[in-house]
Amino acid sequence: MNEPMIRLSRVTKSYRRGGETVAVLDHLDLEVPDGSFYALMGPSGSGKTTLLNLVGGLDHADSGEVVVAGQDLNALDGRDLSRWRADHVGFVFQQFNLLSVLTALENVELPLLLSPLSRKERRDHARHALDLVGLSDRLHHRPAQLSGGQEQRVAIARAVATDPKLILADEPTGDLDRHAADQVLELLRRLHEEFRKTIVIVTHDPLAAARAERTIHLDKGKLDRVEDTGRGGGNR
Amino acid sequence: MTKLILRSLLRHKVRTLLTIGSLAVALFLLCFLRSLVTTLSAGVESANQQRLWVQSAVSLFVDFPLTYQTKIDAVDGVRRTCKFQWFGGYFRERENFFAQFAVDAEMLLEMWPEATVIAGSKEAFLQDKRACVIGEGLAKQFGWKVGDTVPITGVIFQKGDRSAWEFQVAAIYRPAKATLDNRTLYFHWDYFEKTMEDETRQTPSVGVIVIETEPGANPTPVMATVDQLFENGPQRVQTTTEAEFNRQFVSMVGNVPRLVSYLGGGVLLAILLACVNTMLMQAREQLREIGVMKALGFSDGSTARLLLLQALLLVGTGGGLGIALAYVSQGGIAEMLGPNFPGYAIAPATLAGAIVTTLLLGLFAGAVPARMARRVQTAEAMRPH
Repeated sequence: MNEPMIRLSRVTKSYRRGGETVAVLDHLDLEVPDGSFYALMGPSGSGKTTLLNLVGGLDHADSGEVVVAGQDLNALDGRDLSRWRADHVGFVFQQFNLLSVLTALENVELPLLLSPLSRKERRDHARHALDLVGLSDRLHHRPAQLSGGQEQRVAIARAVATDPKLILADEPTGDLDRHAADQVLELLRRLHEEFRKTIVIVTHDPLAAARAERTIHLDKGKLDRVEDTGRGGGNR
Repeated sequence: MTKLILRSLLRHKVRTLLTIGSLAVALFLLCFLRSLVTTLSAGVESANQQRLWVQSAVSLFVDFPLTYQTKIDAVDGVRRTCKFQWFGGYFRERENFFAQFAVDAEMLLEMWPEATVIAGSKEAFLQDKRACVIGEGLAKQFGWKVGDTVPITGVIFQKGDRSAWEFQVAAIYRPAKATLDNRTLYFHWDYFEKTMEDETRQTPSVGVIVIETEPGANPTPVMATVDQLFENGPQRVQTTTEAEFNRQFVSMVGNVPRLVSYLGGGVLLAILLACVNTMLMQAREQLREIGVMKALGFSDGSTARLLLLQALLLVGTGGGLGIALAYVSQGGIAEMLGPNFPGYAIAPATLAGAIVTTLLLGLFAGAVPARMARRVQTAEAMRPH
């Protein structure tokens, strides 16, 4: 059996809020197979974003094991964890989080600065990624000159520019209208089906979740249930 | 990355330009103030060891009798002397004020070998009692040349009919040392004395007598002897070395170096706080972007460097402009300051100090935001505020 892309074993995470310790994830166990498309759902405060941050190496678990792409993330720190993120994960955020002072092309090129690619190669990769998301005519536009849907597509291009195995999307359609949201979800589906990316999205939107193969429901930091959406091809 | 640094700074163009402007003014001021001190010090350091200055013990502004010169000339160790009287006149308009001195013409050019005659001749100056010798700067300022007649209206020493004193330009001098003023007019004591006697029936008194000691003579006993000579008046005198005289002249306007240090320190502190404030605002505005960059794989160190480099670029641009401005304007400022700060110039050490100060300012201004960038947690930075 193949090693899963994500494996969480008895993961706990808590935060200090107003002098109190609030448990966000409570001994969570989870596996996400390589090349799968999962949606994470649950009420606010159920731990979805925290889970995504742990899987993406943006935060450390208090206890338990977080293994992503074969790497135990608890064993990495500082520069090594940054390096690991650059090589293995692409992030898509609800608020797009493009750098406002850079053009679409420069935003996509940004993570490639950490690669050994030459300037020309970086440019070519970035152009290709923007072409993939249908924005080859918006290369030199700044984020303020783009619509919300276009900004999110640029963010997706940035996430895939380094060709990571795993794409983590936190409410990627949360700030978009239905049409733009559909475009973004279709793009994520293509990345999954055509490029075999493992995709995990956090969403409140049942329509968005329905695009995934499986939906993981979290409640109070625990796994509530996992549902098949009927779109998947077995354990792919 | 360079693009990102530049564009981040230009995100708020007005704020950035204002900060650069204030930095430029601050560094210009630092260079200017420091140069005032070094110029004054240069005057003291370049003083002639053989020249001693005799002035009234009361004040530089109190005269003493002309007869003192003969007695001073007779003191052991004195080779020759030159007397000075501050004339205090102006050319046509009161705004055209500059230094004029009645002097012992024969002694002047011999006792000040650092002044070289570049037009006209010493002989022409000595032959004509109405002749004067002027500095090169003065000749440039008023377009005077050898042979011109220069009317100077006396303020302290006036003629009965209030008409101007007329001097013939016989020679133009160029100081070999920048510390010797090049905008002064010297004329014959004899002409001055005779005119004043004709006009007022009184012999004019002396402002200062400069002694040149015999080669190898110890100046200390000479100074003591001269001071003792006039201990019982009618006017007591104080004899000092040229360096000490220059130092006292400087201290007449207060403790300039200390004042300048306080001013410079104040300017530095103010600009440091302003820069730190600007960079903290920059950092806060970029906090989310720093979080994004960290999420993309940029290390804590590289995001810290991003802000540090922004600070260095901001401060370097402003400081560099100020230093460049101070450097290119030194000629104009020297003209403007005139005889008050002869030889005003930005010394290489001042330039180096200003560059180091700019660098340190940049590092200080960038250190706090850089630390902030380094320490902020990625998830925390991207959380909506």
